[in-house]
Parts: sequence; structure tokens; C-alpha cells
Amino acid sequence: MSGGNSKNKVRSKRQEGWEEAGGEFYQELYPGGEQELFENLQRADAAKLATLLPSKQARNTTTVKRVRSQNERRQSTYARTTQSRDIHLSMLPDLSENLSNEERTWEEIMQIKAMPVPMNQKRDIKARLQNATKLRLQGLEQLQWRQRKVWHRFSIRFTELVGKLELWQTSLREIEGKFGTGVVSYFVFLRWLLFLNLGISTFVIVFLILPTVLLVEVDYECDDFAENSTICCSQAYLRRNLTEFNVVVSFIQGTGWMERTILFYGVYSDQMYTYYINSLWRTQMFYNMPLSYILVPISWALFSLIAIVKTAAKGFKERLVESEGQFYKYCNLVFGGWDFCIHNDKSSKIKHKALYNEIKGCLEEERFKEEKQLRTRESQIMLHLKRLLIHIVVFVILIASGILIYVIFNHSMDKLNEEQNSHLTNEFVNDTEKSLPLRQYNESSYSFGQLQNTLLEFLPFITIVVLNIIVPEIFSYLIKFENYMPANTIIIALLRTVLLRLSSLAVLLSQIYMQITDPDRVKCASFYEEFRMECWETYVGQQLYKLILTDFALQIVMTFIINLPRAFIARHSNSRCLKIIGTQDFYLPKHVLDIVYIQTIIWMGSFFCPFLPIIGTIFCFLIFYVKKFTCLTNCTPSPIVYKASKSKSLFMSVLLLGFVISIIPVAYSVAEITPSWNCGPFRGFGTVWEFVVDTFEGFPFVVREIVFLLGTSTFAVPAFAFLLFFLYYYWAVAAANRHMVEVLKNQLVLEGHDKQFLLNRLSAFIRQHQKRCERRNRASFADDDSSVQHSSR
Amino acid sequence: MGQGQSQFTEEELQDYEDLTYFTKKEVLYAHQKFKALAPEKVGHNKNAKLPMAKVLQYPELRVNPFRDRICKVFSSSNDGDCTFEDFLDMMSVLSENAPKAVKAEHAFRIFDFDGDDMIGVSDLREVIERLCGPELKLSDSEIQQLVQNVLEEADLDDDGALSFAEFEHIIDKSSDFCHSFRIRL
Repeated sequence: MSGGNSKNKVRSKRQEGWEEAGGEFYQELYPGGEQELFENLQRADAAKLATLLPSKQARNTTTVKRVRSQNERRQSTYARTTQSRDIHLSMLPDLSENLSNEERTWEEIMQIKAMPVPMNQKRDIKARLQNATKLRLQGLEQLQWRQRKVWHRFSIRFTELVGKLELWQTSLREIEGKFGTGVVSYFVFLRWLLFLNLGISTFVIVFLILPTVLLVEVDYECDDFAENSTICCSQAYLRRNLTEFNVVVSFIQGTGWMERTILFYGVYSDQMYTYYINSLWRTQMFYNMPLSYILVPISWALFSLIAIVKTAAKGFKERLVESEGQFYKYCNLVFGGWDFCIHNDKSSKIKHKALYNEIKGCLEEERFKEEKQLRTRESQIMLHLKRLLIHIVVFVILIASGILIYVIFNHSMDKLNEEQNSHLTNEFVNDTEKSLPLRQYNESSYSFGQLQNTLLEFLPFITIVVLNIIVPEIFSYLIKFENYMPANTIIIALLRTVLLRLSSLAVLLSQIYMQITDPDRVKCASFYEEFRMECWETYVGQQLYKLILTDFALQIVMTFIINLPRAFIARHSNSRCLKIIGTQDFYLPKHVLDIVYIQTIIWMGSFFCPFLPIIGTIFCFLIFYVKKFTCLTNCTPSPIVYKASKSKSLFMSVLLLGFVISIIPVAYSVAEITPSWNCGPFRGFGTVWEFVVDTFEGFPFVVREIVFLLGTSTFAVPAFAFLLFFLYYYWAVAAANRHMVEVLKNQLVLEGHDKQFLLNRLSAFIRQHQKRCERRNRASFADDDSSVQHSSR
Repeated sequence: MGQGQSQFTEEELQDYEDLTYFTKKEVLYAHQKFKALAPEKVGHNKNAKLPMAKVLQYPELRVNPFRDRICKVFSSSNDGDCTFEDFLDMMSVLSENAPKAVKAEHAFRIFDFDGDDMIGVSDLREVIERLCGPELKLSDSEIQQLVQNVLEEADLDDDGALSFAEFEHIIDKSSDFCHSFRIRL
């Protein structure tokens, strides 16, 4: 009996020893509150224990981490209470006892703002840091630190200034308050496009327009007219009397007097300008106009490409991180769902509703997926058949609209050519007879014909734009039957609309191309004749100019004449039917396409009509207000939740597509098509590129050799191999990182399980310990009692 | 702004600039906004403590489903009443310049309704209910399903609640959080 007792004692002693060791262990970990912590541990029940773990108090440690210091945690002068906020403070390093230099102190002060403590405590910390004794920096270090400080202050001021200059702040805020971050990112994108166009315009203005305006061309006289003399041809073209048109009509068509302005390719000189700057030096200066005319488009194309790629890369990175955590869909929905910027009662209601729908949709989708597996074979086949049918219908619509544009374009061209011929003969009559009455008669009858002409000129573009408006509506109606997932629906609808817009552009361009390469085309007209396509580059410029004008005009018409009354009806009528007609959502993909389309035309046309970027800048500016009006007045917030990051990457990918599509025809025309004989900077060359090659031949020998070397295989093959090698390296690193993430995640899960296990064991142990304590206490009481009795005896 | 300028010394402004993500101008602008909530009281004492109901009249806060939590988290007296400094803290964290980690830290406290340093099932339910608004109600099974899904996604250690580390992990991977957890001054 006694032996068993002693054994028990030994065991209990050992356990006590363990406990003490444990206590010390905790004391080491938590200097400061160790007593309390240990008491807590003893008092704790299992549930509370979990909240004492360091990981559960990670919020403190994360802050500490950020305050860069290797100081050990010291006991704070602050009284430690159980209130969590005070724990934060006491966990922070007490920096006053550590001698640090001025720069470090300053850095630490800058870090204070990241701490989750109220302002007065922050101020205390700052004061403490400032008053602490610190080492003065010497010499160079002092200078560097000063510089850093000045730079910091300067950057603050600078951002302040930029913030003040930032365009449309209040508008953006208003839209954000009503429609949330997804829609506002569209407007930010629009602003970005405005700045892009502004950049392109600066290139064009500085290097093309200003020289043309300021510098004087040398006049060569055409001695006798020959078909292949560029001087005579251009003289015939540029000095011919203009056909008289109404000023406004010329303005919107880009013909008549507009044709001979610096708006279009035709008037740019093919000469090397010579000029003197008298006051500075007396040497001759040259400005090579053709060279700058080819270099400017190349540079703005590169500029746009870099801008797009740089912006897209940012979004792409975000998307990549997100796609890796595809499983975070619900978390994003719950924690990032609410836009904190919403400040409008009505929109908040709609946002609630949108979130509700989104949540429902997500849960539905899950069910949908399950159902999909359960779906019977027949219904699956039916669905696929339905989709196939609709694909075919869409395809047919696309082809039909292509044919429609083709027919209308040809029709209007034929009509216009006829018209011009008859008009030409008329003019001849006028010129020869010079009879005033006839002329007057002609002019009065003219106005009708003119109107008709203008209509004919614009007919193809109006067709294109109207198709662009109507057909997407049909598509969006059709897609309802296809039962796609909500996310896919947007992408497929968008893809179809892009196809439509691009195919209509492609038809237009191919038509123009056929006309240009027509062997019967008059390349050099004499002084008295006039033809539509003498200077084909100008002609292309005119077409795109008209297209952009039509597009812009129709957007305004749609917004103010059609959609505004619709919105009005929706707001003020109670009839259900009218409400359906009137209510409009702000359907983001459509609006994105609208502006990307305009941008595509700008890129396409800038070579032929250098003014197009400037026009585009103005349009972007105006479109912002048009769209803002659409958004704020005409539309109700969409029931679809647009995620900012998702829509941003969508914008950029569509824009990139537009860029590639628009650059291809321009590049082709530069490389392959013979430029006009009678106008433009590249008169007399086989292709524009030929000029570049010619210029290159004129470079110094060394430069040429270097460039040739770059082109040879001795350079290209190693460079290619090198690039491949790097590509492989980065790919390998990425793969390794992905693997590492996987491993770490697994480890995290395992640690979690271990922790759970240990916590359970610990709580079991504590419970056991408590019981024993109670028993011991009772026993010691009994002992006391007995000893008291003993002594009293 | 002349009125606002007279209420602060240069030193105070410097402090505010150092301790928040705002510039001096923005601090003054924030004060204007704060003053607009209770012109007399704040005009009298620039750092007056406004009751929570008053602070919640700020437009963005008024419609925010987590408004009371926001106030409580940022209030230095923990009861939701805010002084100007608390307000400035709030706006600083919600501003564009505040880094993700700082935002995540405060968001965690906002979503942690019961204050046990974990976002548990009850917290998640509360968040979801508030997100859907007072008029629309998800059915109980739907909420349960959603909570289940969230925990499945984010609860790495399977303890039925999100710790701060887990929460931060989610926020790190969510590019939208920074966009949405923001109030323009």
C-alpha cells in the first residue's frame, strides 16, 4: 500500500516538474505578462485556450513585423490589461531604450501610421521616438538622409498637386457612389484612353503638324506635263480649283477644302525642309518630312503597345494570383462584396439586391453543376443542338451584315461615280460658257443633289453603325436560349459583338483595297480632270474620318434622342409594358466596345489622317460626358455584379485585340501598296517601306553594318537561344514556386491539425491537473485541520 | 478652408500628416467633412466627440451595412462615438494609399462581431445577412451552405473559424478587396 503511494508521489512530482518547466517555457516566450498568462492557462478551459495561441494574436505580430527592428520585446511601461487594444501597444517594441540613429527613427515614425491604434497613442509613440536619444548621422550618411527626407516631402507635395489636377475626380466619385467600383473602372479606362490619345497627338503635333505649318516648302515648277512626273502630278492635284461644296458638307465629309488641309495625308510634303535659325547660328538646318512621317506612326504604335502591355500586365498579375485561388470565390463575395464607396440610398438597395442575386447565383451554379452530371442524355443532346443552331444563326447574321455592307458600299460608290461624271461635264459646261444664269440654275438644283450625295457618302457608315447597334441586341436575345453559365454568357456575347464590329470594318477595308488596287484607277490626273481616288491615302483617311464622325454622332443620338425618352418613360409611367421598354441597365461590355471601337479606328486612320488622334482626344473627352449621362440619367445600376479587377483585364484584352487588328492593315499598306504619285510625303516610291530602306542606305557605314549584323544568323541564333534559355529559367522558377506554395499550404494544414491535437491534449491535461489540485487542496485542508488539532492537543 | 486652417496649428497638421496616409490638405478637407456632420459642436471644439448616430450620417457610412462595426472599431472609447482623430484614422485606413495589410487588419476587426479574435460561423452569418440587406432574406439552408463554402475555401486548419492569418491569406489573393474597401474622401 505504502509502496504504491510513493510511486504515485513520484509521478505527481514528475508532473509538477513538467509543469514548472512549462511555466518557464511560457515565461521565456511571454516576458511581461507571464504571470497572468500562466494563471490564465490554469484557469482556462479548452475553448479559451485556443484564443491565447500566438497565431490567434497574429494581428499584433504582423504590425511588429512591419516595424523593422531587431529589438527584443521589452516589457512596456504601459500597464498590461486584458483589453486587446492595449496588448497591441505593449507588444510593440519599446524603441526608446535602443540607441538608433536619426534615419532609423525617422523610418520608424513613418511606420507608425500602419499600426492599428488610436491617434493619441500613435502620437505618444511618435513623441517617444522623437525624444529618445539617438545618434546623429555623420557626413555622407547625413546628407543622404536629408536627401531622402526632402525627396519624401517632395513626393507628397507632388502627389498632392497631381491629385488636384486629376481629371473628373468629382464625376468619378459620383458614379462610384451610385454604381460601384466595377463601373467606375470603366470610366477610369476611358480617362486612360484620353491620355493615350493625348500622348499620340503630341507626337503628331510636334513632329508632323508644326513643321508643316511653320516651314516653307520649295516650289518646283512643272515644265511640261508628263504622266510619271511626280512634280507635275502633285501640282495638278494640289493646285486644281476645288469643286465647290457647301462648307458644312465638306467639313463632315472631309472633302472639298478640307481635303487640302493638313488634316489628311495628301498635303504633307515630300521634301527635306531647309531652314535657318538666324539669331542662333547661320548654318542650314534640315527637317526630313517623309522620314518623320514614317517614324511618327512607328513611335506612337510602340508607345501605345507599351502603354497597353504595361497596364495589362498589372491586371494580368492580379488575375493570375486570383485564378490560382479560384476557390476563393465565396470569400471574395462575402468579404469584398460591399463597395464601401456607395453613398446613395437607392444604389445601396440595388447593391444589396445584386449581392443577393450573386450569392443565389453562385449557389445555383453549384447546383447546376451537379445537375449537369445528372442531366439525361436526351436533354444534353437537345441543349447542344440548340446551341449549334444558335451558333449557325449568329454566323448567318454576321455574313448577312457583311454582305449588306458590301452591297451598300458598292451601290453608293457606283452612284457617286455616276454623279461625279455628270457633275464634271456640268462643270465643263460652266467653265466654257461662263453663262451666269445657267450657273445659278445649277446651284439651286445642286443643293438637293448635294444632300443626296452626302447621304450616299455616309450610307455605308450609317449602315455599319446601325448594324453595330441592332445586331448585338439580337445576339443578347439569342444567348438567353443557350443556357450558358453567367460568366461565360458575358464573354460569348462580347466575342460575338467584337466579331461583328471587326467583320464590318474588314468588309469596308477590303472594298477600299479593291478600289485602290484597281488597275484602271487614274493615278495622275491632268489639271482639268478630277477623280475620287487620285490620292488614295487621303481617300482612306476620309473614309475613316467619316466613320468616326458617324459613330460619334450616332452615340449622341442614341443617348439623347432615343435612350433619354426611354428612361423618362420608365421613370414616370406605371404601365408594366412601358417599363420594360424603358428601363436600361448599364451593360458594361457594350460600352467598352463602343470606345474600343473608336480607338481602333483612330489607330487605323492615324497614318492616313494625322489629325485623327487629335479628333479622338476631343471625342474621348466628350464621350466621357455622354457616357456619364447615359450612366447617371438613363440607366439603372445593373443587376450583374461587375468586379473591378475582372473588368479591367477585360478592357485591356479587348483593347489589345483592337490594336493588333488596326495595325495589320496599316502595316500592310506601308509595306505593299504603292503610295500615290501626286500627293503625300512618299511620292515616287514603290512602297513606303522602300523609302525607309533608301534612307537606311544613306546611313553611315558602321551603323548599317551593325544593323545588318543584327539581322544575320550569327547574331539572331544566339540571341534566340538566349531568350529561350531565360524563358525556360523563369518558367522553371514559376513552376518551383507553385510547387512550394502547394507544399506550404499542405504544411499549414498539417500544422493546424497538430495544433488542434496539442490543444486537446493540453486542455485534457489542464482539466486533470485542476482536479488534482482540488483534491490536493482538500487533502491539505484536511492536513491543516489535523495539524491544528494536533497542536491544540 | 480658412476656417479650418485656423483650428489647427502647423505642428498638429505635421503630426497628422506623419501618422496617417493623408497630406495636410487632405487632413483639412477631412476636418471640413467632419465638421459638416455637426457644425456647431465641432466649430466649438475641433476634436469634439460625436455620438455614433451623428457619425453615421456621413453619406458612405449611412448606407454601409457594417456601419456600426466600423464606428466601433475606430472609436477610441470603443463605444462607437468618434472624435475627429478617430474619424481621421478611419478615413486614413479607408483611403486609397493605405496598404492592403493595414486594410485587412481593420476589416478583420470589423467582421469580427463578437470580438473573439476569430471570424466564426456566427460572424459569417451576420456578415452575409448584412450583405443581403434588411429586405432580402436568404433561407437558412442557403446561408448555411454559403458559410460552409467559405469555410471550405479559407479555413485551412479546419477549426471552424477564420483566424487573422487565414483572413489575411484570403485578402492577399483578392484583388478586388482593395478596390471595394475604400472610401474616397
